[in-house]
Amino acid sequence: MHAIETLELTKKFGSTVAVDKLNFEVEEGEIFGVLGPNGAGKTTTIRLLTCLLAPSSGSAIVGGFDIIKDSIRVREIVGVQTENPSLYERLTAYENLDFFAEAYNVSGEQKKRRIRELLEFFGLWEFKDKKVGTFSRGMKQKLSIARSLVHDPNIIFLDEPTSGLDPESAREIKDLMKSLSKQGKTIVFSTHILGDAEKLCNRVMIINKGKKIALGALEELLSNTNKKILKIALRKLDQKVIDAIKCFKQVKEIRVDNSTSTVSVVLNASEEVTPEIIKSVVLNGGLILSVNVANQSLEDVYLRIVRGNNVEN
Amino acid sequence: MRINKVILIFKKDWREIRRNWQILLPIFVIPFMISVLLPMFILSTPSIISMPASSLAGIENLMKNLPKNIQTEIKEMNIQQALIYIMLQYFIAPFFLVIPIMVSDVIASDSFAGEKERKTIEALLATPISDDELFMGKVLVAFIPAVIATTVSFLLYSVVVDLYSLRLLNGKLILPNLTWLLLVFCLSPTVALTSIGLTVTISTKVKGFREAQQISAGITIPILFMLIFGQVMGIVILGPQMIVFLTISFLVANFFLFGIGISLFGREEILSKLV
Ligand SMILES: Nc1ncnc2c1ncn2[C@@H]1O[C@H](COP(=O)(O)OP(=O)(O)OP(=O)(O)O)[C@@H](O)[C@H]1O
Ligand SMILES: [Mg+2]
Repeated sequence: MHAIETLELTKKFGSTVAVDKLNFEVEEGEIFGVLGPNGAGKTTTIRLLTCLLAPSSGSAIVGGFDIIKDSIRVREIVGVQTENPSLYERLTAYENLDFFAEAYNVSGEQKKRRIRELLEFFGLWEFKDKKVGTFSRGMKQKLSIARSLVHDPNIIFLDEPTSGLDPESAREIKDLMKSLSKQGKTIVFSTHILGDAEKLCNRVMIINKGKKIALGALEELLSNTNKKILKIALRKLDQKVIDAIKCFKQVKEIRVDNSTSTVSVVLNASEEVTPEIIKSVVLNGGLILSVNVANQSLEDVYLRIVRGNNVEN
Repeated sequence: MRINKVILIFKKDWREIRRNWQILLPIFVIPFMISVLLPMFILSTPSIISMPASSLAGIENLMKNLPKNIQTEIKEMNIQQALIYIMLQYFIAPFFLVIPIMVSDVIASDSFAGEKERKTIEALLATPISDDELFMGKVLVAFIPAVIATTVSFLLYSVVVDLYSLRLLNGKLILPNLTWLLLVFCLSPTVALTSIGLTVTISTKVKGFREAQQISAGITIPILFMLIFGQVMGIVILGPQMIVFLTISFLVANFFLFGIGISLFGREEILSKLV
């Protein structure tokens, strides 16, 4: 059984189509990344799947329950870290978790143990009696993630979980996500940090303007493109050199980084043409510091996919 | 509806309110002003207390026009006593309704619109607490303090008024009496609910709790002023029949208001309208 399955899931706000006929599945125990530019519909998708918004049309099954007909059951079995921390600032960290634990039917000793475990894990135990209003952004973010886990849900939605966190904390969250996934929990998360997606995800979905524009394992998305990037670092940038590179028909795109005097050349196919390009750089007076051939990074693929999608529209 | 979830919401909201002086201040100060300061002010105004009887002669005629039942109530009093009796028994009554209206309005707007404004509503709506439980918990957190504040104010008011009447009305106690018991225990809770119903309905439409509070007060306060002026002009007298009539009217209004409020309180719509 799929942990999540959507069918033509759509949400409109007036004339804005925030989520447009999305179809996708998430497997049990998978870490599933949702990528897309600002306003792409990531948060709205998560809100639909956690029954915070009713879809305008289409439907979805989450953990075996229909998000329209069985919304209370869906809410019981999923945990969600919302885009805003959404915490009660006048209550303490402990009181916040206590309230949500009870709301999710966790009580008694089990509740106390769980809250302590989470607060200790997130390094917030010593602040448990402090009002959340006094917390830093990162502390709120951690508490908000802790809240999403308070009832030990099987399906967890995290909306930009590492935003606002220092590198060490971000690392802890990522490790936590991995270990939750090892325990068989399904994790859906949205992010703008492609490196996170690269490290964590089994599969990613890229959406733009509410539409799915790519979905698959990262290696697949990367290898599909089969493009190489030639990075040439020069002592000094020279327009003549750049023009010379542009003349090769195998060159798909050139990106110039003025600060490092580096020219990144995206090649259409293999790196066969590299020697010729280097030769022409040298003949045009370019002084080469170094040359690197790399596969396209996720960022390159991502930007190309998103931009390509924008051009079509 | 699971009662423990209703109580959970109630306790959470009450805890937040208890720590918010912007809410606590009006809840304590306004009832105190109306139940203690206002009657003390009336009783200590020298122009009423020690006015020579002759200067009140004109008022005597006015009093003759009062309804029969009030005439019998004041039959054995002199003019000064009658005047003060009428003030304490009738004139302050509509002011007293400010207490349940104001307390429930301030709390309900924070609990409904405030939770939206502070964006805490999202995590709350994500929990498996049903719409009914959520709605009930939040209505109660505004309703119960309103009823308590009204009752406590009534007790304070009774003490102030009776201390006066013991001395000056030959040992007769003005309060409690049927009119005031009906006012405090029937009409007040009903108008508190009206105020909550209005605030909830308005809260679904506006962004901030201040707006909700002001619009709701903007609707209820003029109704009160109509009552106050109605009494001053002698058109309405807040006697038992009138209070029962008003209670029934407000109950009917509540029925519709809550119908509208609940239908607008669809949880899956709240975030859509959060812009
Ligand atoms: N409550 C709302 N009312 C009206 N429009 C909305 C509402 N919520 C979202 N939208 C619109 O829907 C679109 C998708 O928004 P959403 O928040 O899902 O994007 P996102 O991918 O999460 O963006 P970000 O990366 O900035 O968080 C946007 O155009 C946004 O303006
Ligand atoms: Mg978002």
